Order: sequence, then C-alpha cells, then structure tokens
Amino acid sequence: MRVLLAEDDVMIGASVRRGLSQDGFTVDWVEDGRAAELALAERVHDAVLLDLGLPRRTGLEVLSAMRRGGDSRPVLIMTARDAVADRVAGLDAGADDYVVKPFDLTELAARLRALSRRRAGRADPILAYGAIELDPASHQTRVRGQTVSLSAREFALLEALLARPGAVLSRAQLESKLYGWSESVESNAVEVHIHALRKKLGADLIRNVRGVGWMVAKPDAAQARS
Amino acid sequence: MRSIRRELLVWLLLGIALAVAAAAVGTYWRARDEANALFDYQLKEMAASLTDAPFAAVPAGAGTIGAGSDAMVVQIWDRNGVQVFLSQPHRILPQNAQLGFTTLSLESGPWRVFSTLAGGQVVQIAQPMSARRELAASMALRTIVPLLAVLPFLAILIWFTIARGLKPLDRVAAAVARRSPALLEPLPEIDLPREVQPLVGALNDLLSRLSHTLDAQRAFVADAAHELRTPLTAVHLQAQLAERATTDTERAAALAELKGGLERATRLVEQLLTLAREEPGVSEVPPASVDLAALAREVIADLAPLAGAKSIDLGLSSSAASMVSGDVDALRTLISNLVDNAIRYTPAGGRVDVSLSGDGGSVVLIVRDSGPGIAVEDRDRVFDRFYRGSGAGGVRGSGLGLAIVKHIAERHRAGVELGPGIDGCGLGVTVRFTQPIPARPLPGSPAAAPAGAR
Repeated sequence: MRVLLAEDDVMIGASVRRGLSQDGFTVDWVEDGRAAELALAERVHDAVLLDLGLPRRTGLEVLSAMRRGGDSRPVLIMTARDAVADRVAGLDAGADDYVVKPFDLTELAARLRALSRRRAGRADPILAYGAIELDPASHQTRVRGQTVSLSAREFALLEALLARPGAVLSRAQLESKLYGWSESVESNAVEVHIHALRKKLGADLIRNVRGVGWMVAKPDAAQARS
Repeated sequence: MRSIRRELLVWLLLGIALAVAAAAVGTYWRARDEANALFDYQLKEMAASLTDAPFAAVPAGAGTIGAGSDAMVVQIWDRNGVQVFLSQPHRILPQNAQLGFTTLSLESGPWRVFSTLAGGQVVQIAQPMSARRELAASMALRTIVPLLAVLPFLAILIWFTIARGLKPLDRVAAAVARRSPALLEPLPEIDLPREVQPLVGALNDLLSRLSHTLDAQRAFVADAAHELRTPLTAVHLQAQLAERATTDTERAAALAELKGGLERATRLVEQLLTLAREEPGVSEVPPASVDLAALAREVIADLAPLAGAKSIDLGLSSSAASMVSGDVDALRTLISNLVDNAIRYTPAGGRVDVSLSGDGGSVVLIVRDSGPGIAVEDRDRVFDRFYRGSGAGGVRGSGLGLAIVKHIAERHRAGVELGPGIDGCGLGVTVRFTQPIPARPLPGSPAAAPAGAR
C-alpha cells in the first residue's frame, strides 16, 4: 500500500515514514501543500496522510481541492489542534479519519489499513482468496492454514493483486505500489517477485496477460471466503 | 465603616436644625421689636385716654385698667406730688419726673414706663417688659414648632432620597460582581447619574484592558500548547521507533534522533520561557548601562562552535560608542537569538557578520547572513509568534526567535528592521537603539565597557 505523507515537520515526517515503512507501507513524503498536490496528481498513492498546518497550501485547502476534483482516495488527517471544531472542519472538508498529535505509529498504521479496507468495501481485516489468507496487520500469509513466509515486497505485490481480483495490473502500476520515489527500481523487479510468489503459492495463482500485465482470476463463489 | 448615607443624613439634619434655630432667633427679635412698638403705642393711648377723663371719674382703688392688662400699673400724682391714684397699690412705682418713655429696672424686673403731664397732674403708666418677651417668645415658638414637627419626616425623606440616589452604585456593584475573568464585557453605561459615570467609565476602561491582556495570554498559552505538541509528537514517534529497533545500530540511530527531538523540545520550552519573561510587566530590571560590543563578543564566543561546525565565517566589527541603557540579560538574548538564527539558516560554508555602529546618538546593531533570506511578503509576519517563513530551506526553528527579539527591542525602545544580508542576498536584521547614551557605564554591570569598546 503506497501512502502519501504530507508533513512539514522534519522530525515527525522522518519518523512516520520510517515507522510506516517498517509496517510494510510504501511512503512518499512531501513537506508542503503544493508538493502534496503535485504528488496527488500522479495518482499512484492509495491513501493520504495529511498534516493540516502545511506551508504554502494548508492541509484543508489540499483536501478541499482533492474532493472538488473528484479524488476520492482515503485521507487521514494528522492534526495538533484537538478542538472539536478543528476535527469537525477536517472531516467536513472530506477527510475519512483523523489522528491527534502526538499519535501512535501502530495506531496510525491500523487506521490506514482500515481506510484501505473500507475503500475496497471489505469489513474483514483478512484478505482472503481461495485458500490464501493475507493479514495486512501482521503481514502473515497463510495457505490452507499453513504460514508462508513472504518478503515485504512480495506481500505488497500479492496484496495489490488480491485487492482487485480480475483486474489486470500493469508493470508500472505494480511498481508504483511497491516502490516510493526515493527507491530505485530494477527493470525486472516485478517479474522476480512474481516468480517468487508463484513458487511459494502455486504457479496458477497469478496469471500473465501478455503485453498487458498480471492478474488473479476472479474467485468463483465456492472459493470466496466471504 | 463610613456610610455616605449616614453622613449625609447627619449633616443635613444638623444644617436644618441650625436653620430652624436661626429662624427662631430671628423671629424672636423681630417679634420683640414689633411688641415693643405695639405696647408703647398702647401705653401712650391709655395715658391719653386717662388724661382726657376727669380725675374724679377715676375710680379709686380700681384693681385693673382695661381687659387683660392686669400687668399694667397706673399712677397719678397731683402737682403737689400727692398720689391721687394707684391702680395696683401693692406695686410701687418710683415717682418719675421724666416724661415720655423710660425703662426702669425694678426688683420684679425691667418695666416700661410712660409719663405725661395733663392738667397739672402726672400720669404714669407702667408695664413689665416680661410681657413683651413672652409675646415674642411665643411667636418665635409658634414659628419653629411646625418646622420641628416636620423634621422627622424630613429625616425619613432624606434617608430614602439618598438611598435612591445611591442605587446606581448598587447596580454598578452588582454588575461588577457578575464579571469574571471569563466574562469581562463592559458595564452598562446607560441611565447613569453624572457622578457615577466617571467611575463606570474608568472600570470599563480597566475591564477592556484586562480583557485584552487575558485574551493575549490565552492566545499565547493556546499557541504555546499547540507548538509544544509538534516537538513532543516527534519525540513520541522517535521513542516508538527506538522501541521497535531490532538491531543495535538501528537502536543507536533511533536514540540519536530521539536526543535531537528532545533538544528541540527543550529549546522551544526555553524560548517560551524567555518570551514569557519579556511580557510587559513581568520583569522590571532597573536599566543598567550595557556595552553592546562586549555583549556581542560574548555571544559570538558562545556560538563560535556552532558556526564552526557548519564552517560558517562568523565575525564582529564594531566602531565607536556602543553603550545603551537596558537589561543586560535581555540584550544578550536579543543578540544571541539573531546570531543563532543567522547561523541556523545559513548553509554550510556561509558567512555571518555582526556589526555595531553609532550614528548621532543612536547605536545600530546589524546581523547579516548569507542564507536564503526572508521573502519581502513574509517580513512583516516573521515577528509573529510561531510564524515560520516558507523559504526556511528545510530549517525548522521554534518560530519564536524573532518574536523574542522584537519584544526585547520594544522594551528598549529600539526599532527592528529586516533587510538584505551579505552581498544583497540572505537576511540582515538591523536593531536601532535611539535612547540617550549614558555618560558612563555603571560599575558592576556585567557588560561594563572594557576600554577598547568605546
């Protein structure tokens, strides 16, 4: 899951980025409102962590512009103003959730996962597909109850594919889920991870649509856990 | 306790009583004058009527003459001095040859006597003066009795009138009592007597100043609490990362960052304290004579390691007089904040110049740097508490440094201006002290001038 972090305080920004990366998120960090808007225009992020007191353009301005432009990606506000009015203003401007500073990294990660679930229309925290179960919170993968060890990138790739069964994801789309701006991507990285996933979970799970990308087949009713 | 009501009542009643007494005395005197004229006329008339009558007709031994004039005595002598008539034998008037009115002092008091000659006989009519005094006194009494009778009613009237008059004071007191630090709206000024108006005006003035001060304080506390949250959030997150660290190197790195976060929080708290101390009325240090050049040297020596760590060329140039009168510690903070800011915002390898000059009775301190400077549109706002310019180049200060500088400068009646820094780029802060320069530094002042500074 790739998250855009907009936070002007260097220490807070660095800590949140490190903490969320440890929790398996791919984090891109911008320090002002304009940079946040530019990053949002790329449409590569799955969620936005927005500080309200951003320079150049405030968080509320960024948020309002996003919603006016029809961008419905989940936005989680980080605010130091804990007055009810401030929180209400944030939520009414289109935020999905908020945390009040100082906050807990694990809570932040959990709230982000919850937002992502809600956006995908799932209530169950476990992402299930056939015999495969993905737990985004603990980063555990089980196949028929047996824990399978996946690397962080493999996990993220699988998560991206399982989130939208039946949809074909291009290499660029998958790369954008796995790598932040600051990370260099090797040309065959996606193939390498897919190869590893097939080895661990079975060759028929991820299908290649030649010249377009990869997908997992839509589960039939018997397979769906729901 | 003194009571306006009681005092007014006592003094008013006393005044009225004195007025009544004066009226009584006046009435008495006037009544006596009138009684004198009246009774004298009566004596004369009676004497005339007696002389007209034949003496034989005067009944010998008649006890009284005329109705109600029992106090009168009539004596008639013939030309031989033989008494031919005495109305009241028990009273002996001396034979008085003096004709006309006389006042005699007898054993029974003063008598008014009228003597006249008629047909060879002397007719004397006498009347005691006490009759006149009694009449005058009774008239005076009749005048003051109704006044005295009204006095208690007057007292009650005064009592209630004063109470009514003082009612606005009660209302003001009640209104003031309803005020609290949270509710400092002005007292109603409508329908107030002229005497109470100045009091309410002054109270409202005080309330509004108090309210402004409280608002400023509340805003400061709210801002401060909010601003403290940022470094504390950073520390909180850094601590969590340190907890999560699985290797020693990770932990060491996390702890180093935590330390940085703590230093920042500490610095902010210190600056908040400095700012709080600079609030008007908090510290009233008697002004001493301060040598700014000596202070600047101290500050530069303190900050040289910080500048050295960033390879920043930090230097001082001072000329002539640099004595100002003020608070040494505050002025040190002022210079220190400016130089510290300059070093923080100047990239490594840059330059920071501190210069002191005197021109025509003013001392000018300029701190210039070769950093990114402050955009012209931001220059007015950088003095606001917690305002951080957008072009800070990644440096995040507390947002208090320049606010503190401004407070201290204002307290020393010095002007602060922002301008270009070294070679037209960067920031130059000019602090102009225009106060009169004291002739000699005070002994014992920590920054008292070494000889070279003057």
